[in-house]
Amino acid sequence: MVRPALLLFAFVWSVSADAKVSFNREIRPILSEQCFSCHGFDAKHRKADLRLDTREGALADNDGVRAIIPGDPAKSELWKRLLSTDPEEVMPPPEAHKPKLTAKQRDTLRRWIEEGALYEPHWAFTAPQRPALKEKGPAAIDVLIDQGLKEAGLKASAEASPEKLLRRLSLDLTGLPPTPAELDAFLKARAKDPQAAYVAAVDRLLASPAYGERWGRWWLDQARYADSNGYSIDAPRSIWKYRDWVVNSLNADLPFDRFTVEQLAGDLLPDAGESQRVATGFHRNTPLNQEGGIDVEQFRVDSVFDRVGTTGTVWLGLTVGCAQCHDHKFDPITQKEFYRMFAFFNNQEEPTMKVSDPARDEAKLAAAARDAEKALGAWLDQRAAALEQWESGLTKATTAKLSGPVKAALRKPAAKRNVTERALLFAASPGAADKTFKALQKKAKDAADLRDAAPTTLVLKELAKPRKTHLLTAGDFTRPAEEVSPGVLATLHAFKPDAGTVDRLDLARWVVAKENPLTARVIANRVWQAYFGRGLVETENDFGSQGTPPSHPELLDWLAVEFLERGWSLKSLHRTIVLTQTYRRDSANRADLVEKDPDNRLLARQTRLRLDAELVRDSALVASGLLTTKVGGPPVFPPIPDGVMSLGQVKRVWNTSQGPDRTRRGLYTFTYRVTPPPAFAVFDAPDGLSTCTRRNRSNTPLQALTLLNDPAFFAAAQAMAKVIEKEGLAAAFRRCTSRAPEAAELAVLGKLDRLSAARALLNLDETITRD
Amino acid sequence: MTDSFRLLGRTRRHFFRDCGVGLGSIALSSLLAQDKPAPTADPLAPKTPHHRPKAKSIIYLFMAGGPSQLEFFDHKPKLNALNGQPIPASFIEGKRFAFMGSSHRINLLGHDKQFKQHGQSGAWVSDMLPHTAAIADDLCFVKTCKTDLFNHAPAKLFMNTGSGLFGRPSMGAWMTYGLGSECADLPGFVVLQSGPRGPRGGASLWSSGMLPSTYQGVPLRAQGEPILNLTNPQGVAAADQRKVIDAVRELNAGRLAKTGDDEISARLNAYEMAYRMQTSAPAVMDLKGESKATLDLYGIKDPTEASFARNCLLARRLVERGVRFIQLYDTNWDHHGGVTENLQKHLPMKAKDIDQACAALVRDLKSRGLLDDTIVVWGGEFGRTPMGEVREFTGRNHHIDAFTMWFAGGGFRPGMTWGETDEFGFGAVKDPVHVRDIHATLLHQMGLNHERLSVKSQGLDVRLTGVNPAKVLKPLLA
Repeated sequence: MVRPALLLFAFVWSVSADAKVSFNREIRPILSEQCFSCHGFDAKHRKADLRLDTREGALADNDGVRAIIPGDPAKSELWKRLLSTDPEEVMPPPEAHKPKLTAKQRDTLRRWIEEGALYEPHWAFTAPQRPALKEKGPAAIDVLIDQGLKEAGLKASAEASPEKLLRRLSLDLTGLPPTPAELDAFLKARAKDPQAAYVAAVDRLLASPAYGERWGRWWLDQARYADSNGYSIDAPRSIWKYRDWVVNSLNADLPFDRFTVEQLAGDLLPDAGESQRVATGFHRNTPLNQEGGIDVEQFRVDSVFDRVGTTGTVWLGLTVGCAQCHDHKFDPITQKEFYRMFAFFNNQEEPTMKVSDPARDEAKLAAAARDAEKALGAWLDQRAAALEQWESGLTKATTAKLSGPVKAALRKPAAKRNVTERALLFAASPGAADKTFKALQKKAKDAADLRDAAPTTLVLKELAKPRKTHLLTAGDFTRPAEEVSPGVLATLHAFKPDAGTVDRLDLARWVVAKENPLTARVIANRVWQAYFGRGLVETENDFGSQGTPPSHPELLDWLAVEFLERGWSLKSLHRTIVLTQTYRRDSANRADLVEKDPDNRLLARQTRLRLDAELVRDSALVASGLLTTKVGGPPVFPPIPDGVMSLGQVKRVWNTSQGPDRTRRGLYTFTYRVTPPPAFAVFDAPDGLSTCTRRNRSNTPLQALTLLNDPAFFAAAQAMAKVIEKEGLAAAFRRCTSRAPEAAELAVLGKLDRLSAARALLNLDETITRD
Repeated sequence: MTDSFRLLGRTRRHFFRDCGVGLGSIALSSLLAQDKPAPTADPLAPKTPHHRPKAKSIIYLFMAGGPSQLEFFDHKPKLNALNGQPIPASFIEGKRFAFMGSSHRINLLGHDKQFKQHGQSGAWVSDMLPHTAAIADDLCFVKTCKTDLFNHAPAKLFMNTGSGLFGRPSMGAWMTYGLGSECADLPGFVVLQSGPRGPRGGASLWSSGMLPSTYQGVPLRAQGEPILNLTNPQGVAAADQRKVIDAVRELNAGRLAKTGDDEISARLNAYEMAYRMQTSAPAVMDLKGESKATLDLYGIKDPTEASFARNCLLARRLVERGVRFIQLYDTNWDHHGGVTENLQKHLPMKAKDIDQACAALVRDLKSRGLLDDTIVVWGGEFGRTPMGEVREFTGRNHHIDAFTMWFAGGGFRPGMTWGETDEFGFGAVKDPVHVRDIHATLLHQMGLNHERLSVKSQGLDVRLTGVNPAKVLKPLLA
């Protein structure tokens, strides 16, 4: 694809007409797009034995032909082929359907060859350098953004109105709009000291438990979290303790390196406790195929593929998964390296772990179960003779009619039967109708069920005996080739495993090593993306050569180094970004920007962003006063439309929650992968089938139908109608948009009955948008 | 700008078109006189195809579970002759099958179904499908379809998205992405379901994958409201609904003037289309206007009762309204030989469920002059093995090496049989056709080049046909 962005970015990169061509920002994208798929890193599929991803390869003598002769484009085969009009000669060949080079790109390539065809290492594979600035903290970010604006001759927009600022902050940091009381308090504090009021609001919101819920969802997208197994059967699973671990860890501002290590290898930490084991649920969020007739090994291998690919995407921002079947075509990742990464994840049991629950007294529950069983046993002891008599009277024919478990119990010698088995037999005998027996049996069963009802979660556990890992030819698990040992990507920083077995813990520490050029950049970029709708690196999941170079490379590096030096504190990173002037700008578009920066890459203004699916729901609940703010716990089943659960192979039951659980935050809604909650799917919530590092933001009629007619939104509207009755229309308007209505707006709503006005308010673009 | 981002940008303009009702784009642009955003394309507006298309719409009759080609179309007398004997080892060496550790066996399985040749083309069709047999000269049979995966959910994904992994766009999504929609008051990609349960894989089968959700299939529901949340909440009169939408429009338009955010214009139009859908979707589902002759043709006894036959008639009505891609899922075609899904009892019942309606659809489209630019596709995610299974009753295992599909209309050659299988119907001996070839061919008929229709994702150009070779099946095309 042609990348017009490159042209646009010329000024952000401070390039003037007479400056030398930069390989990384101008040449690499062209070569990657046009040439690397056949003349790149993948040796096996390389054509004509020519590689253009290294200078050595490009300059090599190939039977008297040299692709590039530095300083002499006219004699360079690459240049000749690019210009050729002969379909046999021209490169890339017509059947590759590559877009034609623009005149500007051709000119750049020619100049680059004239200037000596110098290569540079890929920008993302070299360590970030903090630019030399005298400004610190938020001011440094503003300097770097304003530099780009200045070069483009653009002025920054003014700060957004105080109401919109608090709304923006509240939605961004907690996912909930401000309440009228919070707005009033903020406006009052601002009258005294605007800056202090703003900083106080930031700190209040960062300290709110809702912060962990909002940013927890951000992480759960990447963790491909959902509450069922996926594929055809899509049975429910219990892994919500992992979700709570994420929310709690973010609220506690667990440093991101520790946050990472616990999720990738918490079970292997020397001080591993329950919490660290729960964290390993990250890689248990892969779908599980329970269809009949499958080869279990095939799907186990698939889930390991997913774990390798997801680790690469989430932390390294690299498309490691591309090397599953062959060497990567664009980035220096060999197929063998893929399987060395695979080896780390090929060595686990996948157990279900019982988790402690402070609300449960385990000893008491166990004692109750024991006592109930004892009582039942004692009662049965007194009926032993009757039972024996019944048993001895059984014939072959009568036995055949009994159930399987009863037959199994009968096969055991009487002395070896446990209480449950004895009760089972008694229940099959003529005495079964005895009321005391029934009551005792039920009591024992209930107590045992209660004892066994401790919450569980899915975790990783290292196999006692390591599994051998082989390179799999073409990614086919039936075609194992050479054996490989665990290892990482050689093109990145050095791997320094601890003495002993090389395991996931070594991998996790390598991922968050200070020398890693990628992780801090990738995460800082993804946080930035949440605030401005687009990352500094637009391809947030591909920092390789097919990705886009950063729009503000110095800023990206500044953020990455700042993140690292502040001890990987996410809260600190959030705080720094939201305290900038850049973040606080008004989001309205401007005529000059439409002309000069239509995509708002230079950030002269903020961006209006439609709220994420769950937050559309949460906002309606907050505005109408219905939200239940309880944090954590098992997923809930708010009302959903009829028929939704019958779309998959197995019709799943949806036992609609009662009471306050009907109006919990969207984060807590039970999510079946195959039949996800429709009001979320329609607003682009991810399906949990693979990692999601950026949500789409679509805008469709089905969204309109949801907000207008969905039972949950209608219930919110009914509550909102009561708010209008009690507080008036203007107050209700403010609850939805965080600002006072204009007279004309009030007039439009005033023509409607209360319920209609309430419905209109919840359907406003402004209500579901962060301005 | 990368393609993936351009795509996200485009999602803002979903359904943004000159809708003719309420606030059109002219009114909008006047609102924006001082602050007009650059003109942008509507993702669902009809787009210029890569080449002149032969077809405008596709109706895909998906027999979920994998119907047996050996009982329906691929006539193999040798199976009866060698019933119970093991298939020669050379056929199955190194092959993997479903249920290998349990009910899978290698003994050939004969059957008692009668086959005849039909029409001028002489196509073999089993007596279980008399109506299909009667239109044999309108159909193009492919006997040698081949897929990669032998478990239901992955194979269904493969047939729909070209990949056994989740997260890829389905065929219908690709079509509407590449061509846009010609229908302003219904979705461009519609899914209809029949049978006792949903298909394995659920909504992933009509997912838009990495494409914006605008392009995902919208299930039209058999019972209750046809589209989720289509009907006004209880107690809300039509006039009130209109008033709410008018108020929303007015306030949103004011906000648009203030912010210059074309996302708001997209939303204004989305609300208008939603309002139109509230009328048009129930209208399309209402079969009152269909003649008795038409209902009889499809074999519909009660036009309000959900059935495959009713879905076939609905598909014709959707095509008439310009819907691009209509997919019908009929479930319970997995005849392993269990108590509820076996070849003796249940296959004939399923055949009866669909035979008349499939044929009626082709006839009906033809008589209305719609068959020329509508492709009808019939098939499952795979076929069934020539070998029998050991279960309570007679049945066959999943089979991926050769199975039969048929195509009608939209430029496919009528009265044709393509491909030949070996004496047992195990594999192709002539002209194998891979799922990728089918995808390439369907795209081709719709005016799209499968190598050019791509989207950037994670550094790759993702295509329906993937990276392995795929070819347009030219001999099948008129």
